[in-house]
Amino acid sequence: MAILSINNLTKNYGKIKALDNVSFEVPPKTVFGILGPNGSGKTTLLGIVMDILKATGGNYKWQGEESIEAMRKKIGTLLETPNFYAYLSGEDNLKIAARIKGRGEEDIEKVLTTVNLFERRKSKFNTYSLGMKQRLAIASTLLGNPDILVFDEPTNGLDPAGIAEIRVLIQDLNHQGKTIVMASHILDEVEKVCTHVAIIQKGVLKTVGSVNEVLNTSGSDAKDGILIELSAANNQQLKNILEQIPGLIKISETDGGFDIICPENTGAESVNRFCFDKGIVLNKLNVKRKSLETRFLEITGKQSDR
Amino acid sequence: MLNLFKIEWLKIKTYKTFWLLYLSFMVFTPLFVIFVAYKFMNSKYSNFEEMTLKALAGAPFVFPKVWHSATYFSGLFFVVLSMLFILLITNEVQYRTHRQNIIDGWSRMDFIKAKFTLMIFFIISAVAVTFITALIIGYTYSPQGADVWGGIKYIGYFALMATVYLMVAFLVAILVKRTGLSIIIFFVLVVIVDNLLWLAFTLKESQLGYYMPLEAVDSLIPNPFKPKVMERRTVADYTLIIAAFSYLTVYMYIIISYFRKTDLKT
Repeated sequence: MAILSINNLTKNYGKIKALDNVSFEVPPKTVFGILGPNGSGKTTLLGIVMDILKATGGNYKWQGEESIEAMRKKIGTLLETPNFYAYLSGEDNLKIAARIKGRGEEDIEKVLTTVNLFERRKSKFNTYSLGMKQRLAIASTLLGNPDILVFDEPTNGLDPAGIAEIRVLIQDLNHQGKTIVMASHILDEVEKVCTHVAIIQKGVLKTVGSVNEVLNTSGSDAKDGILIELSAANNQQLKNILEQIPGLIKISETDGGFDIICPENTGAESVNRFCFDKGIVLNKLNVKRKSLETRFLEITGKQSDR
Repeated sequence: MLNLFKIEWLKIKTYKTFWLLYLSFMVFTPLFVIFVAYKFMNSKYSNFEEMTLKALAGAPFVFPKVWHSATYFSGLFFVVLSMLFILLITNEVQYRTHRQNIIDGWSRMDFIKAKFTLMIFFIISAVAVTFITALIIGYTYSPQGADVWGGIKYIGYFALMATVYLMVAFLVAILVKRTGLSIIIFFVLVVIVDNLLWLAFTLKESQLGYYMPLEAVDSLIPNPFKPKVMERRTVADYTLIIAAFSYLTVYMYIIISYFRKTDLKT
């Protein structure tokens, strides 16, 4: 059964459609990335499934259940920014969260250690740095060892080491069999940790599926082709030869070389042999796996005011 | 409910502002009332006005009237606890912890109920401190055989007044969300709007003024030094009590229906 199923979820703020008929399912034991530019509706979506925002239309179910209070106690969630009582210590804040979840306080030491905050547990929340606040919020999601975790921009405010730690943590959690739903606008982050991805833009679901499926669905530029970067000492001669490759789809000049898109059955090896036979020795040959970034830009367009 | 209160207690037990305001009510109120009683009971009949005043007031610090006087003074200071209650609610919005409580697994109703437990805590505290103060003063100054429990209904009136004030505070805090603005609006309602409405009706020889939202409970405990001949109110206490309960029901309905449906933003 799907961990989370979203059906025709719509949210209007006056005339603005923050979410427009979004439907998808989060399969169990995945790291499910929700990817979208700033203001695309990611946080609105997560806010609705956490019951802090009310949908204008549509519905959602957690593990097939409509009753959500009991479910939420078993989900660890970090939404948007860390929300804690500024005048309480990190530890006391976690006590409140644990009590609300109906848990004892036995987890607190463990989760604080996991995020390297144990030493500062007695300090007041308002003395924490941005990164420490974020880590406390992540610690809070781990209380009670939940099987489902929801992270909204989990690496917000963290330094590079912190970002790497959180990525490892997310992958560890996933290897323990947990399902993780993660919203992010950082493509690299999604590409590195997610198994599945949903791309939303202006509140509309653009595509959804496993990362491989999404990457392999070809965009307009590269229909059934592979992208190869190459160059040679004599680029003018190289160009003439490349243009003779059977079935060549596209050739474009880059800094000191060319990008070509050729049919999948051609492949790098045959391109290399083709050039060599024609008397050109390549000094660079690189098959580019299409990155999520390329895919993302193909799907959402390139202007930033989306 | 007790579990909800325990969580609320975790939120406030190390919060300095809470203790500052809470203790200033709990300590200052009895000290003030005892001080006034002491001054009153020990003043010499030095001049005519004072004598007249004392005669008209009719033994305000002796059983049974001490119940009336103690609850009246306690009522004056009760705005401190109302303000504290507003602060504790708007803090949640400011820190966005109202969202976090729900994300962590409370229902919207749990959040409301938790604040109601806090409200009950404030009412019980205020009633207890007022009750004890009245007993102390009463036993200090009453002659043997005084009617100790004769004015105990004022404790009930006081509890009702406290409930209405806190419910108005709750309503304002939930709707306005910002700390400073909520407190200002609350004060404007308590000090200006209600009294102006009362004045407007009273000038027209209407008794309707006594049914205004806060005036209804204020009128249940009038100024104990005000001579009976100056009292203009003719409507019975029980009608004011009915009015107060009606207001409470309406406020509660608005609070619950609003908070259950609204988007929780800052």
